[in-house]
Amino acid sequence: MEKSVYYISAASTISHQPTFGNAGFSKSICALEADSSLITPDFKAFIDAGLLRRMSKILRMSVACAKDCLAQSHLEQPDAIIVGTGLGCLHDTEKFLNTSLTVEGLLPPTSFIQSTHNTMAGQISLSISNHGYNMTHTQNTLSFEHALLDAMMLLDDGEASILVGAADEYIEILTEIAGELNVRPARQLTSAASFFIVSNAPESDTVACVKDCWPIAFPESKTSAINDFLQRNELNAAEVDYVLFASLLPEQSGELVDLFTSAGMSGERCIDYLAFSGIYPTAAAFGMHYAADLMRTDRSIRNILIVNALRSENLGLTLIQSVEA
Amino acid sequence: MGVRITGIGVVSAIGLTVEENLRALKEGKSGIGKMAFLKENSELLVGEAKISNEDLKAALHIGTRYVSRTSLLGLLAAREAWGKNRLSKSLRTGIISATSVGGMDRSEHFYKDYLAKENPDFRLLKTHDSGSTTERIAAELGIKDYVNTLSTACSSGANAIMLGARLLLQNRLDRVLVGGSDALASFTIDGFRSLMIYDDQWCRPFDESRSGLNLGEGAGFLLLENEKSIEFSGNATIAYLSGWANAADAYHQTASSPEGKGATLAIAQALKKSGLNTSGITYVNAHGTGTKNNDLSESVALKNVFADQVPAFSSTKAFTGHTLAAAGAIEAVFSVLSIQNNLIYPNLNFKNSIEETGLEPVTTLQTDREVRAVLSNSFGFGGNNSSLVFSDRA
Repeated sequence: MEKSVYYISAASTISHQPTFGNAGFSKSICALEADSSLITPDFKAFIDAGLLRRMSKILRMSVACAKDCLAQSHLEQPDAIIVGTGLGCLHDTEKFLNTSLTVEGLLPPTSFIQSTHNTMAGQISLSISNHGYNMTHTQNTLSFEHALLDAMMLLDDGEASILVGAADEYIEILTEIAGELNVRPARQLTSAASFFIVSNAPESDTVACVKDCWPIAFPESKTSAINDFLQRNELNAAEVDYVLFASLLPEQSGELVDLFTSAGMSGERCIDYLAFSGIYPTAAAFGMHYAADLMRTDRSIRNILIVNALRSENLGLTLIQSVEA
Repeated sequence: MGVRITGIGVVSAIGLTVEENLRALKEGKSGIGKMAFLKENSELLVGEAKISNEDLKAALHIGTRYVSRTSLLGLLAAREAWGKNRLSKSLRTGIISATSVGGMDRSEHFYKDYLAKENPDFRLLKTHDSGSTTERIAAELGIKDYVNTLSTACSSGANAIMLGARLLLQNRLDRVLVGGSDALASFTIDGFRSLMIYDDQWCRPFDESRSGLNLGEGAGFLLLENEKSIEFSGNATIAYLSGWANAADAYHQTASSPEGKGATLAIAQALKKSGLNTSGITYVNAHGTGTKNNDLSESVALKNVFADQVPAFSSTKAFTGHTLAAAGAIEAVFSVLSIQNNLIYPNLNFKNSIEETGLEPVTTLQTDREVRAVLSNSFGFGGNNSSLVFSDRA
């Protein structure tokens, strides 16, 4: 059976790295320092000042990345807007929760309005007047993979261009919660957004495509899941040029690298992308942009496997392939 | 190209099972009343499921306190829809649930103690994220081939159903439980009050005097199966999902456009997908929340699509309250029951038509018409509009 491929015709990320508006960023990224912060563009270039004032970080980042993607691909309207978010609009959720527990009488509604998970997708449709399919997936650390799979299904059904992305937002209480629950993450918890245009046809400058994406709820064995995934894409481990992986705890990273190397992949080419992005539930979207950018800067790269084991109960596998010039 | 529906399950203010819900719908008995479970001494009218968390846990054989009411309600409805089906290695089985609050009922309990510095139990937060609500239900039922959660506010449940149908038609799954679950939370009650669209009286969908909604809670699930799955299960098909569409209104973050743009698109595209003419729809189970804005916008959309031939329609929100992400799923179950039993439900609390549109919903139970196809609408914040078409044949 011939399987479709899904071309990445635009990519935009706001993160701790100089990712935004900077194709080729993968050559100049370095691991996060403890005091590292987000590198944000001038949001006023993308969002009306009045609207911007009311928007939380996650909304600003999402709308800016979405508009940047449309500009890159010279696309006026995507056929659909699909967003993945693990924890949604945490800033406004906490703000309204706080207000509702501490303030008597009439409450200001803005933070409630902006607390729903689909605020990003809704605000993007509003900002570009898009009337297409509008969806928000929220399956913890697999939220982005589920959003991406939905986009791939729409392309299979004949749509042409889908805006798909992911965003998550850090609030201070997350660090306290992690501490209280005895979770000692290897990297700092943070925020970020990545959006893409995936299309059924390549543009002249398209270098990468999504070959396959598989969000696995409860994998029995990571090794056999990865083997099955490679097999169904007719690849052997030696043909994988890079593995970009994520895991929450330092000891889990070691186990994953052992797993890749024993499967025949080069240990030097296994990269922990959380070192660059920091930790947030949808960091796999950063991984996808990073993979596409690596392919732009080095045209000899053919296959990049993204292994998202950020939450050890789940596993997200995404295969990015280069597009022949 | 309809998708087979072979199982249904529902819990709402009017009953804990399909049978109880059906009886209340026939008797015209609303489940909305003064709050009894979420908080004591509140005068607020809500559509609570008439069961405490303790009784839910006992009924479901769940011991831990680290489980949200959203998961418990969802599991009750999902188990009913799943029935006596068995898992099989030869069938790919998935679950898609929808929720807007996730484990907020536990989180707000935590946060209250946290603010008061009264020994907050951080473990309660493990149930906060919406995905964990679905994983919990999936784990209890042993479903693992596809586990996903959608959250698009009040249209979430309908969106879960259409995503399930697409997964079957693309042969990515053989069968899938689809639906949604939301528990009442102070967070959402305060939220709708802050928007000044919470009615202190009984909600009055499509009535000129309507002044807001009453929130409710509950869950609904449907089992969708392909031919291969039917061969294994031998299940009878009780109705078909034959059309679906989701469209963005792109008008305002919370309000619907006065010309009903997104709603019109969703209804028209769902009808087109079903292959039915406008005259093929016997009954419209409307979104009909009882807010000034929704009911007017939805009425305009119905007139846009059906012109002067708007089918028999009603909102069942005056029975259940607005159950947010569960609404589309609960009303999908009601739509299937409408087809199965040839019933058109009354729109409770209606007296006078909305002046601008003059539309009159069904106000008494209709039993004399063969219900061949039902259109079910779900519209949410963010201008998220979804419509589903259910029918008695493929």
